[in-house]
Amino acid sequence: MVLEQLLGNLIQGLVLGAVYGMATMGLSLIFGVLRIVNVGHGAFIMVGAFIALWTFNALGLSPIVALPLAFVVGAALGLLFYYSVIQRLLQAPELATLLVTFSMGVLLQEVVKLIFGSEFRGYNWPVGKLDLGLTVLPYSKLLACVGSAAIALLLYFWVNRTRAGTAMRSVVDDRVGAQVCGVNVNRVFAMSFALGIALTVTSGVLLTMFIPVGINPYMGGGYTLKAFVIAVLGGLTSPYGAFFGGLVFGLIENGSYTLFALIPGVEPFALTRFLSFAMLLVILLIRPTGILKAK
Amino acid sequence: MNGSSKYAPLIPVAVVYAALFLVGRYTPGFWQLMATLLFYCALGQAFNIFLGLTGYVDFGYVAFLGIGTYGMALCVSRLADHPGLGWGVIALGFLLALVMATLLSMAVGAVALRLRGAYFAIATVGVNEGFRFLIEGLRIWNGSEGIIFTAQLNQVLGRDAASAVSTYWADVMVLVIAVAAAVVTLLYMRSRIGYALVALREDEDAAKVMGINVTKYKIIAFITSACFAGLIGASSWALKTPYVFPPEVFEIHYTIEAIIIVLLGGAGTLLGPIVGGLIYGISKYYLAVIIPGFQLLIFAPIIIVIIVVFPEGVVGMLKKKTRHTALGRYII
Repeated sequence: MVLEQLLGNLIQGLVLGAVYGMATMGLSLIFGVLRIVNVGHGAFIMVGAFIALWTFNALGLSPIVALPLAFVVGAALGLLFYYSVIQRLLQAPELATLLVTFSMGVLLQEVVKLIFGSEFRGYNWPVGKLDLGLTVLPYSKLLACVGSAAIALLLYFWVNRTRAGTAMRSVVDDRVGAQVCGVNVNRVFAMSFALGIALTVTSGVLLTMFIPVGINPYMGGGYTLKAFVIAVLGGLTSPYGAFFGGLVFGLIENGSYTLFALIPGVEPFALTRFLSFAMLLVILLIRPTGILKAK
Repeated sequence: MNGSSKYAPLIPVAVVYAALFLVGRYTPGFWQLMATLLFYCALGQAFNIFLGLTGYVDFGYVAFLGIGTYGMALCVSRLADHPGLGWGVIALGFLLALVMATLLSMAVGAVALRLRGAYFAIATVGVNEGFRFLIEGLRIWNGSEGIIFTAQLNQVLGRDAASAVSTYWADVMVLVIAVAAAVVTLLYMRSRIGYALVALREDEDAAKVMGINVTKYKIIAFITSACFAGLIGASSWALKTPYVFPPEVFEIHYTIEAIIIVLLGGAGTLLGPIVGGLIYGISKYYLAVIIPGFQLLIFAPIIIVIIVVFPEGVVGMLKKKTRHTALGRYII
């Protein structure tokens, strides 16, 4: 009985984990290329969630339409923040970029709160369910999972098969060397930052399939923490590492919830949240280069 | 530098705090505002000891205020049945707050301070949330229900004294903490610790090569800063409002406020947190009247502008302007 429940929850965890992974790729991409940690990461996920909510409630369109919209909004936000602020801080101490990205997150939260208010909202997209026996999966969640994997694959081909992707990899390998070979490093930075933010905002749309009534301007904080754990699992600099880190994290999160629920006298939900923080510290301590990386 | 000018920068510190106290004490209706300003100055002064002196950002700083609040709450609620202790309970409460803040900062610091720059920031982002969920998850100290100890505080001190503590003495204690934090900041700046931290801030690798035990000095600054935070929590939160709920005392909002105050005034300066605290406190007070609930909408872009345009803050700028002038030795 418990085993069946555990298996069912692990399937759910894997599906959610794919979306978690996709939601972290932007963070790893930005850190990998620019060496900047986006401490406001969760706020960009929140923006995506509100785009999905708005497309569904105000325009009456399906969240699939919200995906390209979120990508465009994200890319625009990324370019805006890069050229107005980030660009000026590339030589500044780390403290500056940490505080600036953090403040960007706070700013986004407050702007969204100003427009939509701070109560919890949600939408219901009735698309039917798939009964697997062990557990029941709504098609919306399946779609989010498949969509995440597809986006991860697209990113892989973009980075490895296109000219822009090659330029990006060259900057990661050797900033100065790339510049000498005629790569416009500033443009690569701008593009990577915009792409990273666009991916993050898009992932916010996909995440709404898992949170029926959890959309709120301050929802991002929890996702920032989760994304850090996942990014660190995947080695922090690799978007694909992040994707697989997400799968692992989804499994651990749902698996541990099922197990914590068996212990009497504790609150399993809160303990699961604590576990993700504890994991972060332990991984950073023993292997800051990531668990999933080969070397 | 002779003995007297070494401590000259404490004069403006003393003047500002004395002015805040006297205005609050003798101008009817001003005590509440002055108490708020004192809280922000103390918060900035305590946070500055770590962020300002080391250049490391601790995003989970509020956890230390939270744990201090718990220290006082636990002490008062558990010792209320021991008659005769009286004010001793409050003293023990501060002691427990100090001990708990030290232990938590040692635990966090032992892990996080091994990490550099961005990795450190990542490790601290979840400290407040992680600790909150540990308390709620394992139902430690009443879990998510928190501790309400209004009745116990009345029982320990008597109703009149308890109300005087909440409305007056708790704020005086915050003032004492703020002054103590300022003195400690100056002592650190003028000692081996401060010089080591300057070296660390400029170039951590070079400092290490020069034989400076950077981890040791980072830990000293981290624990000191956390201890002051614990005391602020114990007085400004626990004694002023005798209850503690995990979601409230581990709210990241206060870390944001501490960052704003320190940056506004000038990170790593002695007077910075006071100037930052006053500017932030006063503008927040009036913004709350004009646009309630949206103060951060104004302050978030302000932090971004400060970092991009004048990262040294108000006092940092003044310090540059007054260098080699008669005023210079008072402003650091």
